[in-house]
Amino acid sequence: MCGRGARPSQRPAAGKRKARRVNGPLIVQSDKTLLLEVDHELADACRRAIAPFAELERAPEHIHTYRVTPLGLWNARAAGHDAEQVVDALVQFSRYPVPHALLVDIAETMSRYGRLTLVKDPAHGLVLTTTDRPVLEEILRSKKVQPLVGARLDPDSVVVHPSERGQIKQTLLKLGWPAEDLAGYVDGEAHPIELREDGWALRPYQQQAVEGFWHGGSGVVVLPCGAGKTLVGAGAMAQAKATTLILVTNTVSARQWKHELVKRTSLTEDEIGEYSGTRKEIRPVTIATYQVLTTKRKGVYPHLELFDSRDWGLIVYDEVHLLPAPVFKFTADLQARRRLGLTATLVREDGRESDVFSLIGPKRFDAPWKEIEAQGYIAPADCVEVRVNLTESERLTYAMAETEEKYRYCATTASKQQVTEALVRRHQGEQTLVIGQYIDQLDELGEHLDAPVIKGETTNAQREKLFDAFRQGEISVLVVSKVANFSIDLPEATVAIQVSGTFGSRQEEAQRLGRVLRPKADGHEARFYSVVARDTIDQDFAAHRQRFLAEQGYAYRIVDADELLAADEDA
Amino acid sequence: MTDTPRTLAEELRTRTDSGLVGLLRTRPDLLNPVPGDVTQLATRAGTRASVVRAVERLDRFVLQTAEALAVAPDPCPYGTLAALMAGDAGDAAVAAELPRAVAALRAQALVWGPDDRLRLVRTARELLTPSAAHPSPTGLGPTVAEATAGMSPGRLQEILAAAGLPTTHDPVSAVAALTALFSDRVRMAALLDTAPAESVTVLDKLLWGPPYGGVTDRPAPHLQWLLDRGLLLPAGARNVVLPREAALHLRGGRAHHTPEPLPPALAPATERDPQLVDNAAANQAFTALATVEELLKEWDLGGPPVLRAGGLSVRDLKRTATALDTTEQLAAFWLELAYAAGLIASDGEADERYAATPSAEEWLQLPDHQRWAVLAAAWLPATRTPGVVGTADAKGRALAALGPHLDRSPAPEVRRRALTLLAGLPPGTSVPAAAVRARLRWERPLRGAGPGARAAAAPAGGTVPAAGAVGAPAEDLRARLAQWALAEAELLGVTGRGALSAHGRALLGREPEAADATAAETDAAAARAAALLAPLLPEPLDHVLLQADLTAVAPGPLRRPLAEALGVLADIESKGGATVYRFTPASVRRALDAGRSAAELQEFLSTHSRTPVPQPLAYLIDDVARRHGQLRIGAATAYVRCDDDALLAEILADRRAAPLRLRRLAPTVLAAQTSPEQLLDGLRAMGYAPAAESAAGDVLIARADSYRTPPRTAPGPVPDGPPPPDRTLLEAAVRAIRAGDLAATAERKPVPAPAAAAGALPRTTSAETLATVQAAVLTQSALWIGYVNADGAASQRVIAPVRVEGGFVTAYDHTADEVRTYPLHRITGVAELADDAV
Repeated sequence: MCGRGARPSQRPAAGKRKARRVNGPLIVQSDKTLLLEVDHELADACRRAIAPFAELERAPEHIHTYRVTPLGLWNARAAGHDAEQVVDALVQFSRYPVPHALLVDIAETMSRYGRLTLVKDPAHGLVLTTTDRPVLEEILRSKKVQPLVGARLDPDSVVVHPSERGQIKQTLLKLGWPAEDLAGYVDGEAHPIELREDGWALRPYQQQAVEGFWHGGSGVVVLPCGAGKTLVGAGAMAQAKATTLILVTNTVSARQWKHELVKRTSLTEDEIGEYSGTRKEIRPVTIATYQVLTTKRKGVYPHLELFDSRDWGLIVYDEVHLLPAPVFKFTADLQARRRLGLTATLVREDGRESDVFSLIGPKRFDAPWKEIEAQGYIAPADCVEVRVNLTESERLTYAMAETEEKYRYCATTASKQQVTEALVRRHQGEQTLVIGQYIDQLDELGEHLDAPVIKGETTNAQREKLFDAFRQGEISVLVVSKVANFSIDLPEATVAIQVSGTFGSRQEEAQRLGRVLRPKADGHEARFYSVVARDTIDQDFAAHRQRFLAEQGYAYRIVDADELLAADEDA
Repeated sequence: MTDTPRTLAEELRTRTDSGLVGLLRTRPDLLNPVPGDVTQLATRAGTRASVVRAVERLDRFVLQTAEALAVAPDPCPYGTLAALMAGDAGDAAVAAELPRAVAALRAQALVWGPDDRLRLVRTARELLTPSAAHPSPTGLGPTVAEATAGMSPGRLQEILAAAGLPTTHDPVSAVAALTALFSDRVRMAALLDTAPAESVTVLDKLLWGPPYGGVTDRPAPHLQWLLDRGLLLPAGARNVVLPREAALHLRGGRAHHTPEPLPPALAPATERDPQLVDNAAANQAFTALATVEELLKEWDLGGPPVLRAGGLSVRDLKRTATALDTTEQLAAFWLELAYAAGLIASDGEADERYAATPSAEEWLQLPDHQRWAVLAAAWLPATRTPGVVGTADAKGRALAALGPHLDRSPAPEVRRRALTLLAGLPPGTSVPAAAVRARLRWERPLRGAGPGARAAAAPAGGTVPAAGAVGAPAEDLRARLAQWALAEAELLGVTGRGALSAHGRALLGREPEAADATAAETDAAAARAAALLAPLLPEPLDHVLLQADLTAVAPGPLRRPLAEALGVLADIESKGGATVYRFTPASVRRALDAGRSAAELQEFLSTHSRTPVPQPLAYLIDDVARRHGQLRIGAATAYVRCDDDALLAEILADRRAAPLRLRRLAPTVLAAQTSPEQLLDGLRAMGYAPAAESAAGDVLIARADSYRTPPRTAPGPVPDGPPPPDRTLLEAAVRAIRAGDLAATAERKPVPAPAAAAGALPRTTSAETLATVQAAVLTQSALWIGYVNADGAASQRVIAPVRVEGGFVTAYDHTADEVRTYPLHRITGVAELADDAV
């Protein structure tokens, strides 16, 4: 580590003139990123001080990067922090003097929050009021705000159509004048839900996540794959003690949620309904898939009434990073209900993270993957990129392929196939998942490896059966398409081999790694292989896919396929 | 009485040597050339240009004192002056400060005489005395005597009667009686008690100036009441003026509305920990160095072109600003700073470009604190002001960065003064810029060579509408200079959080007031400042932290060679106290292109990293290196292709092939550096039978091609003389000749003879002209002159010269019936008028 000599143990302010200047663990950059030296003795204190307002952007081994954004500063305001605390935190831990302009900017940005408030007026319903009249004038002049508001009550307040509560918050955020939402939540229909902590308990970070969410009212909890997000959902339900709507990605995941809820809470099988393509049950706790909600028939969404079918007290969005665009729209209308978003990777390739924040709520809890790993709640993983040299003829075909076919070709070459098979052989006896994008490639692999293939056309019953067999250890190799990207709980999987993917999707890579991160019974390391064709677009996509995990501190090893094969032959 | 000096010269003669030294120091223009004797010194001290300079340099209170003297009787006892300054009620602060002001005026030879007979030098008096054209800053009008000059004796007696005074025998005593009444507080109060309310309102309006107002031919009763009693006196047609004595009575004897004996306080002061200030300043100093360095790096391969009119184009300024990640205004500052420090300049080539100078190389090699010293020493005395870049000058030309017309001579003085004011505060204390500006304005209310001051300085006549001695734009320049000086000091790290840092104090030197510090002194001060700054600057590091996500973080400034090498090998992602680098295939390729090998790069990274080089990074370098240079590109102008390798080997071995500069690329291909024709000829000469090949590989059929010009027209015949004219042309020509003839020979109406004798302009030599005009000023007689105006039109005028100075004659022009100014060189000649002419 960067040895800055003996560091005095007292607080920076107490150091000597020169010592004080070089002492802090934090470096404030002019582009508003904060660099935190993780091995510094004050790093933990500093992390706690800056966490309320700065977003953790990258967490590789030595220096973590945080970013100060207006959204982050406003969330800090919403959580009760003021500009002085933020400035103090920066000045106290900074190694170099903090640029004055940046401090001024922070104070200015934070002062914009709370000039507008949404409140519930006994006579007029939802009302937007201001403490700063010119601001109200400014935003009312905006064309985007005009359709959302009603009559002006007095110079400082204006009626807001109750249905536009989400819209106006989103619009005001974009205009740079975030509104403080004091209108509160409806309690919803009460329903008794308790956690049944027999022989297990919520982990400390799960507890913190539930508390952070409940205190904030609504928001997003970010936890690594396999760190038990379902239990955070269950914990939140136990706090709400009200009817709950849970939105998940697919039917298998819906069943897993149901299973887990029956096991961990006082809820019984009959109290939990499944609302999917096959079943349409509405119970006090209803689990619905995104797919069924966004099914469009004759230009309308027939299943939308689900949102109004009960007086839901809590809505849980699983895998919130996948929230489809229409659901954003419905969510905007649900601002009076408590909303909990769960995700492992809040990176959207469409860049709509800020919509998630403004509609569901700010990030309420976030834990770096490596930290959870250090606590032993997820398995440590060895990430390996296997570089395959294509044969001469493959290279030629690749060079002549149409641009849009290039990735498909290099991702599915025979050389990769061979290496994949070699890898599976190498880990014989271990529970192995082979994950890919292209069905014909997977079918071929399944044939060669003599392993079942799970893909889109596999029925749910068949899927469940195969997953069960895998969990029981009856089959040790499973070839899966992207249907298994999410929310499939396969605790025994220890090796994942990725042969192809959805181009450069960072969150897909993270989710796939997540499949093997459940802690192993014998505590041994999980392995994640990504088989990549060298000198092709496959390699570029792989580099992009790995970025999220690399920034989370997962250092990929690169191995030459030839060496690997040679080693295998020797052995 | 014998020991009372009668003139300024006599008084100067009695002064001590140190007194004279003081005079010459404060008014250095008197030294140029050195006066022959005290009389000459006194004369020169009395010239208008010199007095204007001196007056401009007075602070507000001394100026107010001089203004008060100008409206006081001449000579003026100290008591009278004190009363004018402090008013009837008295003012302790004024009384305390007044001796200083009088002493200052006396030291500058603007006032002379003993305390009971203080005299403002005549030129200063003229400059500051109120008149219709130059209202005084005091807002006082002319005296009763001046305002009633030319009034009929009968009217005067009427006024006396209306004011309740006995009639007198002659106008002089009448004026004296009226003056005495207005100056007598008791009687005047009694008189005003009887005034109608509206009349009092009118007086209140004129009280603090301007003292002039308009009236109609039939004034309203309340105005008439004032006119009757001489409280308003006529000043030209339809204008009236409040006489000075009356105004002074109403003001309680005060010449100024608000005398400002003391400079405005530098407040509100904000106190900070001096160490905090020093650290902030040091941080900014470091940023300044980084910015200038970045500018030099940006322009390393040659900067943008120089505009024909000089300077940098707006687009290039914008581009530079983007490169430096700052605003254009700030980019202009950094550019000018580097320019002033001699780090960048124009290369002087035919297509002129900006580039770094050789001294920039040396500068880059210096330790940080010395580099800062170079910048600071260049900045402090610089007259070029980046603040005006982007605005337009008086002629509407846009001012370009690094371009001409950016010099503002008061800049260094203002800069030094502003910093000196900060230096006067306790360490770590800052005050708002507005307070500094207010103080600077108090210190030099007239300074800045504004139009107002210039109007007073130029021998302007009544035609120049001078709104007052203080011109608004001049004020503006000085205030803006101060504003810029403070902003620049902050940027350069001389100040931190608005307070002067310890090294900033050292930069000002031991005598902060010495604005005329030599370059050597400035450099020495800068070196002392740099020594103080050195420990505060961050120590350059020799290592970075490499991370598996292909980034490297330098947790502080890097040693130069390391920073340079890393800048090539990786892209900078974030700057500030630390630098974040990202390795990409493109950046690694750049390093390989720069001649580094993969092994060198690996070695470089492992030497400068405290942690092992992450495996993905090592892989990235090896992977890029593996493919680097796989394809080779070269230039050839012709090639030889042959299926027989042996034949090609034979050609290569042949000595005669040497001039063809052949090189074997492949067994069957030779590349040549000569043209295909030469190659063909050369090979044929060697006895081979080569065939030319087209781009598509076909054999070209060699046949002598005929050579043709592009389409051309055949030349026409060139006849000996002009072609014979045709009839139409001839007829038109004759008609034109006839018409011209008629115009020349037609009889004209007689032109009326000029009014003056003979119509010719009088002609005299310039010496004669000057002598005659000067004589006319003394005798107050009228002259007849010939004058050519700026458009070249000659005219004759009858003038009564009032003043001759600086090549100009100020005179009452009888022809135009107003006072005008004529440049002497435009007067063709003068002649005296017969006595009865006017």
